[in-house]
Order: sequence, then C-alpha cells, then structure tokens
Amino acid sequence: MSRVFLTWAVTHSVKEVQNEDSVLLFVIAWTITEIIRYSFYTFSLLNHLPYLIKWARYTLFIVLYPMGVSGELLTIYAALPFVRQAGLYSISLPNKYNFSFDYYTFLILVMISYIPIFPQLYFHMLHQRRKVLSHTEEHKKSE
Amino acid sequence: MKHYEVEILDAKTRDKLCFLDKVEPNATIAEIKNLFTKSHPQWYPARQSLRLDPKGKSLKDEDVLQNLPVGTTATLYFRDLGAQISWVTVFLTEYAGPLLIYLLFYFRVPFIYGPKYDFTSSKHSVVHLACICHSFHYIKRLLETIFVHRFSHGTMPLRNIFKNCTYYWGFAAWMAYYINHPLYTPPTYGDEQVKLALIIFLFCQLGNFSIHIALRNLRPAGSKTRKIPYPTKNPFTWLFLLVSCPNYTYEVGSWIGFAIMTQCLPVALFSLVGFIQMTIWAKGKHRSYLKEFRDYPPLRSPIIPFLL
Repeated sequence: MSRVFLTWAVTHSVKEVQNEDSVLLFVIAWTITEIIRYSFYTFSLLNHLPYLIKWARYTLFIVLYPMGVSGELLTIYAALPFVRQAGLYSISLPNKYNFSFDYYTFLILVMISYIPIFPQLYFHMLHQRRKVLSHTEEHKKSE
Repeated sequence: MKHYEVEILDAKTRDKLCFLDKVEPNATIAEIKNLFTKSHPQWYPARQSLRLDPKGKSLKDEDVLQNLPVGTTATLYFRDLGAQISWVTVFLTEYAGPLLIYLLFYFRVPFIYGPKYDFTSSKHSVVHLACICHSFHYIKRLLETIFVHRFSHGTMPLRNIFKNCTYYWGFAAWMAYYINHPLYTPPTYGDEQVKLALIIFLFCQLGNFSIHIALRNLRPAGSKTRKIPYPTKNPFTWLFLLVSCPNYTYEVGSWIGFAIMTQCLPVALFSLVGFIQMTIWAKGKHRSYLKEFRDYPPLRSPIIPFLL
C-alpha cells in the first residue's frame, strides 16, 4: 500500500523530486528486500528453503527497513513545497460539492503516521526473527 | 427430584473454576451465571459465555439445565467476553454526540471558522432546514432507543463504544463543518432540489419509524422472541413484501435525501459507508431468517428489492 503511494502519489506525481537521492535510497531498499522476500516465498512453496534465504529475510530488514523509511520520508518532505505551490490534488471552498481537501496537509499527516506505525512493524519483525531463527537452531541441534 | 451438579471449566486452560452442587434441574443458564458470579465477582453474567463444548456456541440464558444434553453432573466451559456495556448506553452516547456536535457548527461556535464568523448565522435557508432535519433525525433515534426498541442482547463489548462514537461523531463533525461553512454553496437546482430532497427525507423517516414500531410489536415486552415480520395496515410497512430489513432501506433513503438537500460530498460519502454497513447487517439478518423459518417468503431480498 505504501509502495503504491510513494511510487504514484508522490514520486510520479511530483516530477521535481524524481532526481532526489532519497528516491534512490528507497528504491534500493525495496529492491533488495523484495528479491529476498519473494525468493523466500518461492522456496518455501517448493519445500526447499535454504537457510541463507531465511536468515537474509529475517536479518537484512534490520538495515533495509530504516533505510527504506528514511528514503520515503525524505522524498515526501522534498515534495511538500511543490505540492503547496501547484495545489496538487487539492480542492478548496467554495465549490458546488461543498468539499475540500488539502493534499499538503494530508502528506504531513502521512509523515506523522510513520511515528506510531514504523516502531510497531519493526519490533514485530524483530520478534519474528527471534522466534524463527532460534527455532531453526534448535532443529539443527537435534539433528 | 434429583439435583444436578455443575462444574465450570475455563474453555482455554480447562482449569476448574467453579463447582456448584444442588442445582435445580429446571435452573436456567441465567441462574447458573448468577451463581458463578458469586465465586468470581469480576465476571458479571453479561460477560460470561457458557458452552457445552469449549469451541462450541454459547448457551442461551433461557436454556434450561435438564433440557441440555448433559448428565446429572454437567460440565460447562467458560469464556470471558470482556468488559461489557449496555446497548442502550452505547446508542444514547453515539446518537447524542452528532446531535450536539452539529449544533456547535450550526451556531458557529468560536475556533471553527475564524473570528469574524463567530456566532453568525448562514444566509441560506437550506442550511437552517438541514439543521432541523439532522437534529430531528438524531432526536428520533434517541427517543426510539428509550421508548421503542426491544433489544435481544443486553450488552456488547466495551471497545465498541469507542469505535462507534468515533464513526458517528467524526462523520457528524465532517458533514456539519461544510454545511455550516460561511463559503457553503447551496444546491445547484435551488428550491426545487431542496423540496424534492425534503419529501424523500420525511417519507423515509416516517417509513423507518413505521418499521421500528412494527418490529417492536412483534415482540412482547421483556422477551427475546423472533418472528417473521409481515406488512401491517400501515402502507410504509408494505416494503416487508419485498425486503427483509426495510428499516435499513428507509435509513439509506433518508440519508440520500439529506445528501441531495445539502449537495455536500461528505454527506454522500457518509450515506455510502452507512449503506455498505447496513447491507452487511441486512444480509446477515436475512440469512438468519432463512435458517430459522422454513416458510420464509422467497420474494424478499435483504435490503434493496430484487437487487441486494
């Protein structure tokens, strides 16, 4: 969901941010993450999961996740002035639908939402890591 | 007359929580719940779910011990439903909110629109009409909660009140903000549009009320009986011929009327969300009717004649 938002609603919609380094940051983070994640799913379905893939999936996120989030937040932040200037995706009163929407404020709220959401997801992954990787160690010891 | 013994075990841990001896064979589950509360006062009857099987359905309060498939020593499994709150309390709170919140915006109380508009009044007649309609709607709901509805469940989980109030109060504030805004634009087709919308709104309010009365009359006071609703002499109830839950049909109609009257997108969105939720409820109710009654009229749809 946040992938689609960052790609379409931010980077594609605000051309001026497309040369930012922050875009490179999240694209690299997402790319590496996805290659590992889908390999993990594929091998799991084939019932032949190399430990390296499992390890990578539950370890590399420690760096990739914060990297991706930083790239995302910096990109949204860079887009803000252009959104404000162009009034992008915004509608103000008066109008016949009696409705208003300020995309600039919306983006700020999205950035704020990272504060509660990111730690929850991050600690969930850390907890999963402890469970999954220690389980494998016990399994190996018993062989 | 032989007495029963009842042991109550935790459904998850199978711990023995309570042992009741000398229980009357004609004791109801409600009475057993009361006895259980004596040894565990934090679990008042409304939050107890007792079942014959740890993963099975909850027994009803009216079920009688000797009619259950148990021996003279009955084993019941207990599940904590969590803190409970009465339906009446929830309804009163969730409906009083919109009533008051809308009025705050209508009277343009300070800190909403900017100091030069504080306590001013809209120059558009439709804005005053909308306030009357919105207030009437929620006053009607409050009065129906107190005097009309007969609830089959006394309580619901406590967390529902936060969820429900956020929904009702949030949407009320969002709608009221635009309708009462100094820059509000009245409907494109003027008085004709407002008149038509008002007729739809009043028609559906009357319809909804008629259905609530008809449903109330199906069920004697204090009972939890369920019967198939049928059309009565009141023409508004003839919608029962085509639909299982005409109260929801009329409710959607009222909000569509209000949306046309105010020509306000947030109102239309509120109507849409409400429609989706009521359709889910109507389908569930329709399914329960079909399951419970062999002779349920086949022509009826859940909420929209022939379609949904």
